[in-house]
Amino acid sequence: MSYVLYRLATAVVVLFGVSLVTFGFVHATPGDPAETILIEQTGQQPSSEAVEEFREAEGMNDPVHHQYVDWVTGAVHGDLGQSYFSDAEVSSLILDDLYNTLELAVASILVALVIAVPTGIASAIHQGQPIDVTSQIGALIGVSMPNFWLGYLLIIVFALNLNMFPVAGSGGLEHLILPAIALGTGMAAIVTRLVRTSMLEVIDQEYIDTARSKGLKERIVVYKHALRNALIPVVTVVGLQLGFVLNGAVVIEIVFQRPGLGNLLVDAIFARNYPVVQGVVLVAAVTFVVSNLLVDLSYRYLDPRIKLGESQQ
Amino acid sequence: MSDPLLSVENLHTQFRTPEGPVNAVNGATFTVEAGEIVGLVGESGSGKSVTARSIMGLESPGEIVEGDIVFDSVDLTEAPEATRRRARGTSMSMVFQDPNTSLNPVFDVGEQIAESLKIHESPDSQSLLDYLHVPLVSDRREWQEHRKRAIELMEQVGIADADDRVGHYPHEFSGGMRQRAMLAIALAAQPELLIADEPTTALDTTTQARILDRIRDLRDAFDTAVLLITHDLGVVAETCDRVVVLYGGEVMESGPVERVLSDPQHPYTQGLLDCLPRRSDRGSPLPAIEGSVLDSGNSTPGCPFASRCEYATEACRVSDPPTIRPERSRRVVCGELDTVRQDAESERNAAQPRVDGGDRSIERASQERHEADVQTSGTIGKDGTGRASGWENPESRSDDTTVESETPLLEIDGVSKTFDVTGSRLERVFGQRQLLGAVDEISFRIDAGETVGLVGESGSGKSTLASVIAGLESPTEGEVRFDGATVGTVEERTPEQLSEFGFVFQNPTESLNPRMTVRETLAEPLRERNWETEQQDRRIAELLELVGLSSKHAARRPHELSGGQLQRVAIARAIALEPSVVILDEPVSALDVSIQAKILNLLLELQERLGLTYLVISHDLEVVHHIADRVLVMYLGKVMERGPANALFESPAHPYTEALFEAIPTLEDDGTAQPLSGAIPSPVDPPDGCVFHTRCPMAEEQCRREEPSFETIAGSHSRCHFAEDVTEEPAEPTIEPDNP
Ligand code: SF4
Ligand code: SF4
Repeated sequence: MSYVLYRLATAVVVLFGVSLVTFGFVHATPGDPAETILIEQTGQQPSSEAVEEFREAEGMNDPVHHQYVDWVTGAVHGDLGQSYFSDAEVSSLILDDLYNTLELAVASILVALVIAVPTGIASAIHQGQPIDVTSQIGALIGVSMPNFWLGYLLIIVFALNLNMFPVAGSGGLEHLILPAIALGTGMAAIVTRLVRTSMLEVIDQEYIDTARSKGLKERIVVYKHALRNALIPVVTVVGLQLGFVLNGAVVIEIVFQRPGLGNLLVDAIFARNYPVVQGVVLVAAVTFVVSNLLVDLSYRYLDPRIKLGESQQ
Repeated sequence: MSDPLLSVENLHTQFRTPEGPVNAVNGATFTVEAGEIVGLVGESGSGKSVTARSIMGLESPGEIVEGDIVFDSVDLTEAPEATRRRARGTSMSMVFQDPNTSLNPVFDVGEQIAESLKIHESPDSQSLLDYLHVPLVSDRREWQEHRKRAIELMEQVGIADADDRVGHYPHEFSGGMRQRAMLAIALAAQPELLIADEPTTALDTTTQARILDRIRDLRDAFDTAVLLITHDLGVVAETCDRVVVLYGGEVMESGPVERVLSDPQHPYTQGLLDCLPRRSDRGSPLPAIEGSVLDSGNSTPGCPFASRCEYATEACRVSDPPTIRPERSRRVVCGELDTVRQDAESERNAAQPRVDGGDRSIERASQERHEADVQTSGTIGKDGTGRASGWENPESRSDDTTVESETPLLEIDGVSKTFDVTGSRLERVFGQRQLLGAVDEISFRIDAGETVGLVGESGSGKSTLASVIAGLESPTEGEVRFDGATVGTVEERTPEQLSEFGFVFQNPTESLNPRMTVRETLAEPLRERNWETEQQDRRIAELLELVGLSSKHAARRPHELSGGQLQRVAIARAIALEPSVVILDEPVSALDVSIQAKILNLLLELQERLGLTYLVISHDLEVVHHIADRVLVMYLGKVMERGPANALFESPAHPYTEALFEAIPTLEDDGTAQPLSGAIPSPVDPPDGCVFHTRCPMAEEQCRREEPSFETIAGSHSRCHFAEDVTEEPAEPTIEPDNP
């Protein structure tokens, strides 16, 4: 229990750091955001009074540390401020898109696991045989293929030529399949290799012979005794990959014109819509930290040797 | 006579290697009757394990290319995989050597036993989802039943608190308990045949004794046949009914244990028996079998042992030796048996006293030798009292009449070492510290040229003490003095002080860098001391010669050397800078008996040639007895008994020392000794009073309250309230009501 508290405490510290960095970046960008924003809004050079008025209204004239404290206090209460361009709450903008992005991330991880785990196991069991060689070559291709390129390829083949899936947009399973494959394939390749090596190592262990010596069927030996051990390192990597998945989601969302945090963030950056930028980065960081925490805690279930109090020495 | 339970006929098991096929088992033939315990012995590489695995059907990646394994009248080599699997689940089980790796770390022990029970009940209807405990598909009630039976089995194999322990994971068990759990898994199938592959090699002698006891009990209770694979002939003598000696994948000799061990006929069996340390005079070289096990058992004709056999003739090399039956139920495969017998005969005539005096004359001789030592060397006091003052308090040694060097070479003065094992950060913050006292106020001295042995079970603190002396750990209290000067940790020692210490560790494969050649390994310490290249080369040649290797070994890397050769390299590295003290941590326990003998001989020879001082740490009393002058017996961080090796081994004056002795399986033993009960208590919370009282057969009320101080008995110092009673009736340990 104390370990969970400890992890939560470190998570808070990390998030605090992230908030500081995000805030700092936005404020260190050259140029006066107020002026830029007013140009965007009105389409002409604003008067200095108008700029001053805007700055006052948005609290930009307060000392920087006040602005930061206000922002963090708000964030803790779920209030990330308002978009410069509409009256929309940043938090509700993000919430709408967060769902889309998480849906994509989770779907692509599922795609990766569904491909990787059985392939990795088959590869390990039939080491050196055609099935292994094929899967290894497949993995090599999968790793080397950039995800946006695969995304376009999928659109051309399955959406434009075969008309099986919609080209872009969101909503419903048919909108999710292509982006999830585009994003999940690279990860599938990495995880396949990992499952294979991990499985090969485990199969050589003596407890596998013990399991066989009990008279267990080979299927149960592999899928119960070996797999559970082989999955331990896989979980670590999948957990770490989550950061890359979020990263990749930004790209894939643009390729597929999917609403999501990626599109939201890019638009906000171009528009210098700072409250939104800050909010998205913060939310992404929270997602990342929370998912890592979950991965860490899931070890407890997978590997009873890890005592939670000791794993972080 | 009815058919034997298991009959192995002309078995050949082959492995494909880059250098071509190798027959690890090459024509082995033997039988196991129902209810019989058969020992399968031989050095590593003799094909014992592969034979066992072939019987179980676990020979993969090897392949059975010839021969039959008939079990319960079914030839398993021809049976389909399903039949073999069914046999594994219902009538034969196996216990593996290393309980640390043979249990699955991610399932609790109860689950692993329950699985075995379930398979035994319905070997043919195994569904993956059921075994994965998928809700709804899996029959929860049935699994719970099996778990209950698992608890019974755990009790049966001697796991205390089975109710509690059933949900524990393997890493929460001690080595001995894991092996019991493994035994429970094996027994869950109610096997007719139990194959145990070196089941006690990874364990302490006291734990070993209890596991072997269990195996015998089980045979007695269920009439289970046991095939016990071991390299330890003492284990065979104590446990088995019949023995099969394997070499190069072929059976060399087989027969009833008493007959084979008391009158070995085959030269290989004779060699194996001769190199046991307990058979030879203390400190004298052990007879060793020259050469090593061939790497490849090939199917060329001829006796596989010919390259190492002193009786080998041309005929032995070209044609298969005949099988001779000197007595009923005995077989010896050797073509020159007559010469071998004659030789033994003449040897026996030459060594007349050995025949009628038996072992006693040997002991007498060794005692005389030792008494001579006592008088001349002066390192050991004339009687126990003189010695005591010398050890306890160096200052008062002036009234010791014997001449002693003023400053001992190495002095350990009140050394304690505690570790902080506080679990979590929070506990640490709140000050709930847990301290583990690994070593508790130990004082002793080692004089130049002598050998001090440190014995005890694992967890006794002997290795920690060695690390402190070596400077790898700093003592929490007390100090280590070398030549009168205090030496700290490795970082604090001067280069000169560092070069005075050499170390040899248990496992040479782990202690030598696999990427370095022998030359590089030996040059490393020399280079650190800035030796010239030319000097280095000369020294390396010298070192190789000293440890009995030739210059052709210099270019090899560890994987190209045998276990014995690796340990020689490790010894050469340890003495490279001409140290005065060499600390040997279990120097031979990872080696086969015949190689063990050679390494011990080498150590004795080096000591004589170079005047080395040794500190030998071992759990093997026989090894320590063979080479040490003085011995310290440790338990839970404290010295329980110390004294001259001879006195201590002849008449132990502490119940713990005595128990350690009783646990050793010996050739003469019939397995009646009472092994020590219970496990070592946790050093975090050691028992009050005498730390040994929780396991001591002689413990009285006083022991629970008062910590005993050292008593001097017949030359030894024993930390026991009743030390005198121990020596008085050494033959009859107090008999306790039977422990369940
Ligand atoms: S057959 Fe020959 S080589 Fe083999 S053990 Fe007998 S004497 Fe030695
Ligand atoms: S003091 Fe008591 S408990 Fe300790 S060894 Fe002696 S008899 Fe046993």
